[in-house]
Amino acid sequence: MARLEEARLPSAGPTPGAEAGLVLRIPAAVWAVGALLLLMPAFANNFVLFQVFGWTFILGMIALSLMFLAGYGGMVSLIQMTVAGLAGYMVAILGSSGTEEVSLGLAWWVTIPAAIIIATLFGTVVGALAVRTEGIYTIMITLAIAAAFFYFTRQNYTIFNGYNGFSLVVPPRLFGIDWRQPVAFYYLTLGMALLSYGAVIYVARSPFGLALQGVRDNARRMAALGYNVVWHRIFAYTFAAVIAAFAGILLVWQNAQIAPGTAGIPAVIDILVIAVVGGLRHPIGPFIGAFIYVLLSAFAPDVLTAFGLAPDRFKLLVGLGFLAVVYFSPDGVLGLWARAMAARRKRTDPLTGLPR
Amino acid sequence: MQGIVQRQPLLSLSVIVVVAFLLWLILAPWPPGLTAVMGPKRVFLAAVLSGITLGALYFLVASGFTLIFGLMRNVNLAHGSLYLLGGYLGFEIADRTGAWLLALPVVFVVVALLGVVLQWAVFRRMEGEELRQTLVTIGLSIVIADILLWIWGGQSYQILTPDFLAGPMELPLVTAVRSDGTAVYLRYPRVRMWILFAAIVVGVAMWLVMTRTRIGMLIRAGVDDREMLAASGLPIQVVFVLVFAFGAGLAGVAGVVGGTFQSLSPGEDTRFLLASLVVVIVGGMGSIPGAALGALIIGLAEQIGLVYAPTYSVVFTFLIMAAVLAFRPQGLLGARR
Amino acid sequence: MIGPEIDTAARLGSVSAGNALELRGVTRLFGALAAIADVTLTIRPGERRAVLGSNGAGKTTLFNCITGDVMPTSGTIRLFGEDVTRFPPHERIRRGLRRTYQISLLFSGLSVADNVYLACRGVSRWRFSLLRPRRGDPLLARADELIEAVHLTAARDRLVSELSYGQQRQLEIALALAGAPRLILFDEPAAGLSPTERRELVEILTNLPRHIGFIIIEHDMDVALRVAESVSMMHNGRVFKEGTPAEIENDPEVQALYLGGAHG
Repeated sequence: MARLEEARLPSAGPTPGAEAGLVLRIPAAVWAVGALLLLMPAFANNFVLFQVFGWTFILGMIALSLMFLAGYGGMVSLIQMTVAGLAGYMVAILGSSGTEEVSLGLAWWVTIPAAIIIATLFGTVVGALAVRTEGIYTIMITLAIAAAFFYFTRQNYTIFNGYNGFSLVVPPRLFGIDWRQPVAFYYLTLGMALLSYGAVIYVARSPFGLALQGVRDNARRMAALGYNVVWHRIFAYTFAAVIAAFAGILLVWQNAQIAPGTAGIPAVIDILVIAVVGGLRHPIGPFIGAFIYVLLSAFAPDVLTAFGLAPDRFKLLVGLGFLAVVYFSPDGVLGLWARAMAARRKRTDPLTGLPR
Repeated sequence: MQGIVQRQPLLSLSVIVVVAFLLWLILAPWPPGLTAVMGPKRVFLAAVLSGITLGALYFLVASGFTLIFGLMRNVNLAHGSLYLLGGYLGFEIADRTGAWLLALPVVFVVVALLGVVLQWAVFRRMEGEELRQTLVTIGLSIVIADILLWIWGGQSYQILTPDFLAGPMELPLVTAVRSDGTAVYLRYPRVRMWILFAAIVVGVAMWLVMTRTRIGMLIRAGVDDREMLAASGLPIQVVFVLVFAFGAGLAGVAGVVGGTFQSLSPGEDTRFLLASLVVVIVGGMGSIPGAALGALIIGLAEQIGLVYAPTYSVVFTFLIMAAVLAFRPQGLLGARR
Repeated sequence: MIGPEIDTAARLGSVSAGNALELRGVTRLFGALAAIADVTLTIRPGERRAVLGSNGAGKTTLFNCITGDVMPTSGTIRLFGEDVTRFPPHERIRRGLRRTYQISLLFSGLSVADNVYLACRGVSRWRFSLLRPRRGDPLLARADELIEAVHLTAARDRLVSELSYGQQRQLEIALALAGAPRLILFDEPAAGLSPTERRELVEILTNLPRHIGFIIIEHDMDVALRVAESVSMMHNGRVFKEGTPAEIENDPEVQALYLGGAHG
């Protein structure tokens, strides 16, 4: 049974500067997946494009922001969904929605940057509160703040419109395209997901990213090397918040509405489940986890009914599945994959190269 | 105590002034000007007492949580689920037998046994992997919450207050003075005062066990330095099981209590988990007095906020937590790490 | 081998008229126990000092006070003329102080090259940079030089978790040599090393550029007395004797305390 703490963390890859041959070193499988994703609208229906993949990319981005902090920074933060929710709320409040008494109706080129900035600031402040305590407290503190945000949005009517939330929140019609149409939305979310993924991969090997991993591995030594550990951690929260904020805007557009439950505790926990199930060792993990989650939520009701259970028991399935993953493969699907690869290598004798 | 007063004279002075002012507010009859600004004293007193009794309930839940974290470094995010489970079980027992008092020990034993099973069969195998244990508690909370929803559904349950605890009682607190000079005293639900009393008894008992018995000493030593405890050769796994079982049982009993003077429904588990988190962040991890202080502060903040600024009461709680994190990250009574 | 970097330490000038390190009356209490008591110590720039003493004499606490891991209960610490008594560790590091640890503190999830690169980056500007370094980045070259200096070029891309104990100790030293150190604290660098590795260590230490001073804590008298120019003996938290290696070796009081230690 693998130990979560000892699971191989994302890190060593090509040393800084060795970027030649980048194109050649990407395996064929990745090219195939990439082509598949780009051409998806040709053979998938609207439901798959909008509901399955759109949601996968959005949840994947939020889980990616959690993975960045947890995998590279060693900080398991539960505030990412809240950051996303806040960004979504800000777009609804500053822009136009069905609730005209509260929404300000500002133009998209004001609301979107403002929402990103506000949500990122919030994420940074939470980071500042959470980083000066020991690692295990981070989960507690971020969960408590996330819960406070949920209760506040639910009880406050002047800003957040309480229980009702906001509806009719749609993307602006840019370049004459209705971005909420399935094909357009698919490419929008795919593009944002690829951007976030690429950003995380790139930053992970930048001096900042390496330093963050150093802080994860040995904060005391980093201080003894001249790094300001606290600022590094806070800035990591800022970086993660940007990704979550973009995802939050996409989320409110996808649902065309936002309510307190969007960033409620079950949703917050779900992001953690997604990130852990996918695997915290590589940025692709959160997207794998999101895909599994979305498929489960789409098809589990049918499976449950087939077994004679009420389709509402979806959460039970998720919980049991999560427990199984944490118990048997704490580093998630990626960990399973890595162990399967290692097992395959072990089946050849290292001395002779022949199968055992 | 003298050390703190000597080292921080300004802070100590301000705390004393604030406490004195609050005591005056509570005990003395209010001048008419104050009533015009703050509303009737009766409302204020009711809010304060509600805050204190809610704090008592929070203390019952949070003290188990803080012990489990302090000793086993396991952030038990299923603690709220244990509360709700205990509450529902208590409801069934009280409903079917009509004996409210019976529900308390039965629920304690049942939930404590569940705690024994969890610690022995699950967490013990993940010794040292704190994050993994916490993830397991998250999974458990999801599973338990859904099972509870399955069995008891989405409606609210209320455990009926037993007759000997029902009704109001008169407290020696003056709310107003009648024109003929006689004082009007506050009337407050008896069950809440009994709950407060019970929480104080439990808290004192826990404190006595922690400071005066051998096992309490072991627990405190373990909270301070777990490696040392492990190296001492004592059966720490037994201590862990006892602590987890006790914490779980206490949460379950708190569920019965909460179901009596509030209500039970899905979502209460999250509420009490959040309360435990905040209480422990504010009060300090692994500290029973810290849990008491934190529970009192949070309970008061919540209730007073609810009465005087209803849509922002959560913000008060959050601000208190943020202030503690910013200026004293280890908690008010926590050990500096 | 190790040249001056364009960074804070170099800008401050590696030759100062004053002392590299000055401790005056430094005491550290843990409750009622004085781990170090009234320690007064002066290290000139470029000086090589050994601090010896039995276990519990207070040597590691002394180091922890100098680096800022622990604040002294009383007394002052001046680093290159500046009062750093209340400075956090990273501020002292940026003024030219470095340290190695008894138990190697390395970044287990990263490769040797990454570890050294981080060390080089720590005292330079742009440590927050989100941009990856370009091919000709001088810090990359510097990191490679350091890796060669501690004989780890072959293991350059291996993860720290895959290194042998001796290799980890070598990496530990490379981290301390990064940037432009002016004063290094070596905490039992020879612990657990084989005789060959010890000889290599002595070679690395004696070949350090003259402007870099160091303080070494060591139980192995052989290593300590061979690399040091001066010795401070500690006992029960106090410095009770100072002198050259020869004087200390032959001092009757020292011999009495360390009953026939490593030397007769």
